[in-house]
Amino acid sequence: MLVGELLASSLRMAVPILLTALGAVFTERSGVVNIGLEGMMIVGSFWGALGAYYYGPYFGLIIAMAAGMFMALIHAINTVTFRVDQVVSGVAINILAYGSTRFLSLAIFNMATTSPHVSGLPKINIPVLSGIEPLKPLVNDISPVIILALLLVPISSFVIHRTVFGLRLRSVGENPLAADTLGINVFKMKYAGVLLSGIFAGLSGAYLALEHTGMYVEGMTQGQGFIALAAMIFGNWEPKGALWASLLFGFSEALSFRVVEGGVVPYQFIKMIPYVLTLLVLTGVVKKSTGPAASGVPYERGLK
Amino acid sequence: MKKGFYIALLRILAPVLAIVLSALISSIVILSIGKSPLQVFYTMFKFSLSRMDSVAIILYNATPLIFSGLAVSVGFRMGLFNIGVEGQYLIGAFFAALAGFSIKGLPAAIHLPLVILCGAVGGMLWAFIPIFLKVKRGVHEVISTIMLNYISYSLIHYLIADLFIDRSQKLIQGLGSILARTPKLSPSAMMPKLHGFLGLFGLQLPRHVYLNWFFPLGILTAALIYYLLMYTPFGFELRAVGQNREAARTAGISPERVYIIGFLLSGALAGLVGLSDLLSYFGYMDMDFPRNYGFDGIAVALIAQNNPFGIIFSAILFGFLKRGAEGIQTLLGVPRETISILQALMIMSIVVITKIMNDYIKRLEKKEEVRLCS
Repeated sequence: MLVGELLASSLRMAVPILLTALGAVFTERSGVVNIGLEGMMIVGSFWGALGAYYYGPYFGLIIAMAAGMFMALIHAINTVTFRVDQVVSGVAINILAYGSTRFLSLAIFNMATTSPHVSGLPKINIPVLSGIEPLKPLVNDISPVIILALLLVPISSFVIHRTVFGLRLRSVGENPLAADTLGINVFKMKYAGVLLSGIFAGLSGAYLALEHTGMYVEGMTQGQGFIALAAMIFGNWEPKGALWASLLFGFSEALSFRVVEGGVVPYQFIKMIPYVLTLLVLTGVVKKSTGPAASGVPYERGLK
Repeated sequence: MKKGFYIALLRILAPVLAIVLSALISSIVILSIGKSPLQVFYTMFKFSLSRMDSVAIILYNATPLIFSGLAVSVGFRMGLFNIGVEGQYLIGAFFAALAGFSIKGLPAAIHLPLVILCGAVGGMLWAFIPIFLKVKRGVHEVISTIMLNYISYSLIHYLIADLFIDRSQKLIQGLGSILARTPKLSPSAMMPKLHGFLGLFGLQLPRHVYLNWFFPLGILTAALIYYLLMYTPFGFELRAVGQNREAARTAGISPERVYIIGFLLSGALAGLVGLSDLLSYFGYMDMDFPRNYGFDGIAVALIAQNNPFGIIFSAILFGFLKRGAEGIQTLLGVPRETISILQALMIMSIVVITKIMNDYIKRLEKKEEVRLCS
């Protein structure tokens, strides 16, 4: 069943982008741009593999999320407390993530670029649906993280739109001064948004290492943190939009693997597809979609 | 007058503080793998600075970073973030290599400048895409340049491993295939080393040092950029747009025009980044062509606070760090990645310290105003 397999592989490819894009929605909604998501995915993939290697996959996922959150904490201290340029801080986070994982990989595994093989979470079959023949590739032997990522879409949407926390988060991203006058702790909300994005990106990195590849490989994130930012913009700063955008990117990657097997086009051009698609998507939609009004602007008390 | 001096002192102090702070935090990293930070830093200095050839290697390491730091700083000065220097220099280096190996029989006096020009044009072309998308379609330059970096990696791979692969090579013994690299550049395209010139002053450099005329050219370029930014109408417009885009627009400056010209200038500078390596050390382009100069340039520009002359010093600092990293890896077994961590920490501490300091200066000035008013 070729179509089913293609869809299943699109979904597998979409999950890391989706998870990071969901995180990006939280941080952007709180008004902080996070270019460092790529770096947070990198530390997630390394620490996930490290944790899983010593204490099993569940511990790996948790420590990956903690590592992502730690990097996010640095970003939050830089951008919220010290109000430095958010893009510059994000770039520094990426360099720090790259350098520190290489350093630790050498120190712990004695190899700069890969970890030993690690096992992921047990694969699951979805009951009832798994009996239906055309759906088999989509519902059999899939990673629980895929289910988790899909569940997180409506949950994130609910949190952002239907809870007090979400309302405060959005108000801080739209107009921090107004939020502050209403007694909302602007700094706390921004910290929450940034930290959440780090947790999501860490989980996404752990998915790459544990569930997708079975080991940590240097550069395995391949710019997916940046693609996730584009998916978030394409999805109009909404979790559901991010889902569709991630699926589109996942589909393009899954399709590109099939084309490589065909061997008609040089594979270097196939490798460009996700990045070219990101450019095209941004070119097409940017003027139509609008982000939070105060995104990227540091908030300072006592400043008009 | 006295306060002006005080503020200037603070500005110079900021990068020094940042370097000290990041060295302190890196010490914790070094301690964590059971080595002594003092010994590591001592080895770095001793290994890098005790011999003349080592100092020359530091300057050779610094050469590409002067250009990439300048390229990034021109973007910063107008309020744009050119993360795409990475891709722009690879494309520029390829254009230069193309002009170097495909044109034959020209005298060096024409061929070499032509090759350098091609490098600049290549970088410019690759910089044109993101700035066009920004001005016409509102695509943020940060994401578009990052995407173009990835695209350039694949494109360069295709160009040197497929389209322009050197088919005249002999088969490698036992492998049955040829190396993925371009043909060799003709000798007339190569940049002479500085050995002969330094020899006039009695400084003898060994052959394994590749310090070449791109280093003085980099200093000259920094001076030209300084002149352009500070003493020409365009430089004024560029800085005005960087300070406050809407105010500049009100003053009759078109920010879009400044963005396009400024970004192309940044791309042209980026196109020169890889040439010191290409035209002195490599002589061809292959898969091992150095990467990451573009990202290092961001750190170089930030530490220099976008001052062209400061960039020369911070580029030399990074050249020193790279040389020192080789030293601690070979002599002490400390991974050279320690230096990447140090660099990231430097970026963060410099921006945080500058920010705190600027707030402090602002407060000082406010106090002054209050005192004058009362």
